[in-house]
Amino acid sequence: MLRWIVWRDLMLAWRRRADMLSTVFFFVIVVSLFPLGIGPETQLLRTIAPGVVWVAALLASMLSLGRLFANDYQDGTLEQLLLTPQPLFLVVLGKTLAHWIVAEVPLVLVAPLVGVQFDLSRETLWILFASLLIGTPVLSLIGSVGAALTLGLRGGGVLISILVLPLYIPALIFGSGAVEASIMGATPAPHLYLLGAFAIVTLLFSPWAAASALRISLE
Amino acid sequence: MFYPIAGKMIPWFAIPATILFAAGMFVGFFIAPADYQQGEAYRIIFIHVPAAWMGMLLYVLMAFYAGIGWAFNARLSSMMASALAITGAMFTLISLVTGAFWGKPTWGTWWVWDARMTSTLILMFLYIGFISLQASIDDPRRADRAGAVLALVGVINIPIIYFSVQWWNTLHQGATIRLLQKPTIRGSMLAALLIMLAACWLYSVAVVLTRLRCIILEREQNASRFAEVGV
Amino acid sequence: MNWPDLSMGGYGFYIWGSYLFSLIAIVWELVSLSQRRRALTQHKEQSDSVPASVLRGSANETTS
Repeated sequence: MLRWIVWRDLMLAWRRRADMLSTVFFFVIVVSLFPLGIGPETQLLRTIAPGVVWVAALLASMLSLGRLFANDYQDGTLEQLLLTPQPLFLVVLGKTLAHWIVAEVPLVLVAPLVGVQFDLSRETLWILFASLLIGTPVLSLIGSVGAALTLGLRGGGVLISILVLPLYIPALIFGSGAVEASIMGATPAPHLYLLGAFAIVTLLFSPWAAASALRISLE
Repeated sequence: MFYPIAGKMIPWFAIPATILFAAGMFVGFFIAPADYQQGEAYRIIFIHVPAAWMGMLLYVLMAFYAGIGWAFNARLSSMMASALAITGAMFTLISLVTGAFWGKPTWGTWWVWDARMTSTLILMFLYIGFISLQASIDDPRRADRAGAVLALVGVINIPIIYFSVQWWNTLHQGATIRLLQKPTIRGSMLAALLIMLAACWLYSVAVVLTRLRCIILEREQNASRFAEVGV
Repeated sequence: MNWPDLSMGGYGFYIWGSYLFSLIAIVWELVSLSQRRRALTQHKEQSDSVPASVLRGSANETTS
């Protein structure tokens, strides 16, 4: 069942490939705005790179969260899924996994390219990649709770952002901290471990919270 | 039934609150001496610290009542959570602003990213999220339950967020000196602090009960309006 | 007991500023709460003055 959900969401997303690309484009554009706003001095850019790339990833994720449940909600599929004997949290987990593959993995892959703009060393680019690889599932998981809570509401993307961005802060701190450690020559390991621990904690409670939120939103 | 009882209780909290506020200010300004390091500037803590504590306490209470309301389908409990939110947010705001006012004379800048102020700021965001979510949902039951999920997720995350902010702060400690050093606490200072805390607590009870009564009335009126129209 | 020096050793602006802000915030909360109450009790009086049966009666006319 889980595999079917993931597969179905991936197929649907493929039909709307443009959405996937637009998330990546947004990410790249936002990251490029910072040097334009701050100045091209290399040392400065290297210092701000971890934070900038991570914040851009957060914002790009926010944009894609609206789609997580909205499409199925509109055509009635979501209500059908609620009625299946399968536990709802599995459904949520499946959709979240699909969201991660479609919306976040492209970001993770593109990030090292973007990191080159900030004159990061090869080792740091690897750490950037790793931090986002571990951290982006958190974005999808916590985001799913926000998307479920705001299903069908007028506030739209801004409301999801208000709810979810504060909850992302630990991931932001550990993720960008890892990259920053690498830039300064220290070991990024403790940051990555903490990020991983946070990801596991999130994995344990998010699907269940999002499933409850879905039921609440659909009643 | 709760409505009239709450109504009678309110003055029992409101009047002592006012008295204690006055008492706290008196002890804080007339009895407690100036601090050795910070001089008179430290006197801001008499409002800053109680406000900060109330902000955090009320959030936990809000999450508790929301959770109970959701788990046991207890409407009054959920309404209590909604009533707590604005007061909690207000105290958090006071804590942030007075913190800034304390920071400027003691180390020169209006805002400093130390662990405590940053965590308070994030708490403010969590309050804003809860209030915004409930404001966007028309159906009161959905608003109650959605708020409960959000508040519970928030409460679970608060220790994690606090830890990560501490972590972040110690990493970047190099440039900044230890900030917001607490003045050496003398007896009279502690007394003033506790009196003010009690005053804030009593004030909160009075205000939250008043708001709760408003919420009860509002829901009744909305329900009867629908009944009249035959919905 | 010592009479405090009102300028608070030069920190007067910050100390009185903080307390003033806090006072304003509290007053705002109290005022908005009382406005909310007043709006509700007015509405309650209005709908109480019209007997419920009359309201229900008119609703029946429109739906049937």
